[in-house]
Amino acid sequence: MAHDSLNETAAPVRITAHTAKWILLIVYLVIAIFPLLWLTVSAFKSNLEIQTQPFALPAVWQFQNFVKAVTISGLHQFFLNSFIEASLATAVNLFVTSLASFVIARETFPLRKTIFTAITAGVLIPIVALMVPYYSIIVALGIYDRLLALIVTYAAINIPISTFLVSSFMTTIPKELEDSAEIDGCSFFQRYSRIVLPLAKPGLVTAGTFGFIYAWNEFIYALLLTSSRSARTVQLAIRFFTSQFRTDYAGMFAAIVLTMIPTVVVYIFLHDKIISGLTAGAVKG
Amino acid sequence: METLRKRNQNTGWIILFLLPVLALILAFFIYPILFLLYVSFMEWNGIQPMSFIGLENFREIFSEDVFRTSIKNNVIWAMSAAFLQIPLALLLALVLTRAPRGWKFFRTIYFLPNVISLVALAMMWSALYNPEFGLINSILEAVGRGELTRNWLGEIDTALPAVIFSYQIYVGYFMVIILAGTMSVPREFYEAAVMDGANVLQQELYITLPVIRGIIVTAGTLAVAFALRQFETTFLMTAGGPANRTPVMGLYMYRRMAGLDYGKAAATGVLLIALGIVILGALQRVFGKSDAVGDSQQ
Repeated sequence: MAHDSLNETAAPVRITAHTAKWILLIVYLVIAIFPLLWLTVSAFKSNLEIQTQPFALPAVWQFQNFVKAVTISGLHQFFLNSFIEASLATAVNLFVTSLASFVIARETFPLRKTIFTAITAGVLIPIVALMVPYYSIIVALGIYDRLLALIVTYAAINIPISTFLVSSFMTTIPKELEDSAEIDGCSFFQRYSRIVLPLAKPGLVTAGTFGFIYAWNEFIYALLLTSSRSARTVQLAIRFFTSQFRTDYAGMFAAIVLTMIPTVVVYIFLHDKIISGLTAGAVKG
Repeated sequence: METLRKRNQNTGWIILFLLPVLALILAFFIYPILFLLYVSFMEWNGIQPMSFIGLENFREIFSEDVFRTSIKNNVIWAMSAAFLQIPLALLLALVLTRAPRGWKFFRTIYFLPNVISLVALAMMWSALYNPEFGLINSILEAVGRGELTRNWLGEIDTALPAVIFSYQIYVGYFMVIILAGTMSVPREFYEAAVMDGANVLQQELYITLPVIRGIIVTAGTLAVAFALRQFETTFLMTAGGPANRTPVMGLYMYRRMAGLDYGKAAATGVLLIALGIVILGALQRVFGKSDAVGDSQQ
């Protein structure tokens, strides 16, 4: 889009470069999407077809693979847990980061930049390194194997990225709106709740989408901080399938496809927000 | 008097607004890192009281082959992020920037795998690499190169490359970040170069790359940080095998925890964080500072 007219170099160079460009684009398109399509189509096959006809479409679309996947493993329970954990973690995360982002983006006070850097630097820490302390903290709080364990953990882990996205967005809201509201008698809290928060909705949606997808997909701490059906998430359910169905690949593929649906649906509706959020973060500097 | 009182009022609000986030940062980042460091000098099984043993945990884990392999593999993962994932992301971004139509479609599809969990993708790739019915061997046979088929995840030579290759499906994330930079380079920059007879390659090399260097470093920093977190992919695809060739520090740590040896698990965690600091620091020395990470509020 940006540089159409710039391709006006000598003709032979242009044709080879042009061809190479499209080959690269299409090869990576295949790498990015074909395995997922293969997986989805395979989820509708019988086990025999999966093993003998890797490229063919299913002779009969086996919808019962999905029914079986849910009924045998009780997948719906894991789905419910994942929904509760991801939604509440996102809600808690957005609430606390919107408060902090508001003062970081809209107020001046000592150590403002230091505090912002300290909060956002967390994104570079290999979170997996903190297994021992997270486990100890969650056990000490008495919430091991409860939904609350993952809600608090995910809400906290996402603070660096959320604060970055939300405060970046809040800095773009014109200051005059708040000034006039203050003259009209708005309190500090009302400036947050009535003026800035509603205007920051796109930033909150982006951060919330990232947070929800992260929480839905997280595996390590779901594995470490829960042990029973009552708190475990869909990501662990997938793994349970591999041992449960040693040879039933159709059932496992169906389960994987089901667990992918929520985030893919979110992506279908919000991909512009996700991509523009990432983009805005990148070019701010 | 008036302004002073107003400032004092707001100071209370400011502290109140920052408090929840700072409390959570303290509880889930700062305290855990200090606790990790503390436990790394202790012998602890998680139940009985800890006892101080100095550097014994570090000495013991370093004496194990599987731990040294884990460090080496973490370095390979980090290098693959910096020198495989980022160049690939950059190449795709440069090409998309010059793609006439449909670039948004490509961008949307390239990013799609990033919303799917590592678990789902690891299981999917295990199936793709499956020696009996996996798609990769099937394709090789279909194109008449049956002699190349192998048990990709089960053979010593191919296991680690196969696992790392599967992770490249996440390139789209970094491509989107870099694309934000390439799209924002003013086109006048190129017009002058075109008049001087610069070809596309020269334009990218001498105009685009210097302008977007900071964004590439940002993307690279994130890519390395994410690669160092790798656990699921290895845990689910190879579990560290075959013959202990593919473990990473996260997996070693998990095994130590499962064996109730929290001291050695913590020592591993400390070294993983230290490794991240060393690698990210070295990359910054070589390639310069990043643009955005933790430093955006200008």
